[in-house]
Amino acid sequence: MTKLVAVTACPTGIAHTYMAAEALDQAAKGKDIEMKVETQGSVGAENELTAEDIREAHAVILAVDTNVDEERFAGKNIIRVGVSEAIKNADGLIDRAVNMEEKSTEEHDEQVSKQEKNEGKGFYKHLMNGVSFMIPLIVAGGLLMALSFAFGVKDSPEEGSLPFYLNEIGGLAFSMMVPVLAGFIAYSISDKPGLAPGLVAGLIADEVGTGFLGGIIGGFLAGYVALAIKKYFKVPKNLEGLMPVLIIPLLATLITGLSLFYVINDPVAAMMTGLENWLQSMSGANAILLGLILGGMMAIDMGGPVNKTAYAFASGLLASELFGPMAAVMAAGMTPPLGVWLATVFVKNKFNPEQREAGKAAGVMGISFITEGAIPFAAADPFRVIPALVVGSATAGALTMAFDVLLRVNHGGVFVLFIGDAVTNVFLYALAIAIGAIVTALLVALFKRKPEQVTEA
Amino acid sequence: MELKELLKKEHVLLDLDANSRDESLDELIKVMQNTGVVEDAAVYKEAVLNREAEGSTGIGFGVAIPHGKSTGVSEPGLAFARLTNEIDWQSLDGNPVTSVFMIAIPEEQAGNEHLQILSQLSRKLMHEDFRQKLQDASSSDELLAALEA
Repeated sequence: MTKLVAVTACPTGIAHTYMAAEALDQAAKGKDIEMKVETQGSVGAENELTAEDIREAHAVILAVDTNVDEERFAGKNIIRVGVSEAIKNADGLIDRAVNMEEKSTEEHDEQVSKQEKNEGKGFYKHLMNGVSFMIPLIVAGGLLMALSFAFGVKDSPEEGSLPFYLNEIGGLAFSMMVPVLAGFIAYSISDKPGLAPGLVAGLIADEVGTGFLGGIIGGFLAGYVALAIKKYFKVPKNLEGLMPVLIIPLLATLITGLSLFYVINDPVAAMMTGLENWLQSMSGANAILLGLILGGMMAIDMGGPVNKTAYAFASGLLASELFGPMAAVMAAGMTPPLGVWLATVFVKNKFNPEQREAGKAAGVMGISFITEGAIPFAAADPFRVIPALVVGSATAGALTMAFDVLLRVNHGGVFVLFIGDAVTNVFLYALAIAIGAIVTALLVALFKRKPEQVTEA
Repeated sequence: MELKELLKKEHVLLDLDANSRDESLDELIKVMQNTGVVEDAAVYKEAVLNREAEGSTGIGFGVAIPHGKSTGVSEPGLAFARLTNEIDWQSLDGNPVTSVFMIAIPEEQAGNEHLQILSQLSRKLMHEDFRQKLQDASSSDELLAALEA
């Protein structure tokens, strides 16, 4: 028996969607044809077509006046008409569909498996969604902060001055970075009800100092908790309207928030103390090894607990007139964004257009010692990119110690090079940073695969 | 929520004497205004006319389902009119209209149960025996019974 599938959808999604569906059902019944119709009305998709339905179908009838996702029908016979055509002439449509040439399922299977590969198993799709919403915040915030450094970095900008405000605005944009990352990861997983818990999870990740890695964990947690509630938490029918606006956000935010505080907060604090003690014990040891370790730590989580510990450790040593570790830390903090920038320039095909643009901004952030510029790349593909960043940063950290570079200020990036006494061995310092960035770029190029999901610009 | 909560008895006009689409719309809006479903008739009517402008809601078989989602509506509602005169509605099949279902939906509507009821009604309208019952009903009770079946 010939099997057909159809999708009906109209702009308001109140009446025509369903009338068209009914008309198709009726007409198919009259012709003894198996038919399944998915309605995309204002209550969302109902009677959804499964991959199996689509695979087995002889043809697909799209009776739609709105945009529907056609990718899942790739390689199938498709008839596209307005929704009213299905109401008026369902019989004719079905005849047309049945008379279409039989297509083997091979092409469809191939297309679908290709899409699945492109989308990456959900995980990367959700990550990319979060990253894509986060990039503008990082770019805007990072560039404004870099601009404020350009006014001079020796002293903190005077309150109320233009550079002060630039730095403030940039900082505020950065403070939204992890919440937006987590929020839109969750949004990608469980749609609108996941957004609020995701945003809050991101704020908590920031609050407890876990940086973007904590944000990723929080975003996934929030998204899947919201999804689970949507699926398994049954309420009486007359309360169903409250699910997306009250029940899911409330419960998901509560559960995610409490788990983050109870499960993640304390271990992170303990880890930071542990790391600090460890670094203290290292400070008498081999300087190059210390540089290597500090450097690697800067790149592991960029703004997270490990990075902060390394940075605070080196900043603290400034007071004891130990300037070497600070130089290592700053160099190591500059190479991740510089490295990914180089990678986006020289191996363009491994990045989507959005990332290539973010790469340019990362370059500016790199020279300004704003390590966050590399986060969009690390967050999108943590298991491949972070190791590359760590090795490059560790290289830069070890080299500055080997070159005996001293740095007396704890911020500013390339701009401190213009201040006479802030840094010694300027040229060797620049060399260490350049080598670190090149190592990073080479490893990123080596580890990274072609884009998991090509985001159309 | 059930269909009869949407389609109140007062919302059923079995022999409406209207000469144009606009006139029938006005009558149906009036009965829903009387029961408090429609708060601001002008605002709601605008939404309905906008929807008609996007494409006629005359779905053929002599039936039209004008509808609008609007801030002029305070609670979801449904009204029905059987017309004594055939009215041109630029229907999909070109035939004039004799039955009108009018749907009013508030702008802010968190729940979607009434939408499911309307989607079921829309499905029923595609069946000839159901449409025949609408034509044959001699009282609003009979009409409601046909709808509930």
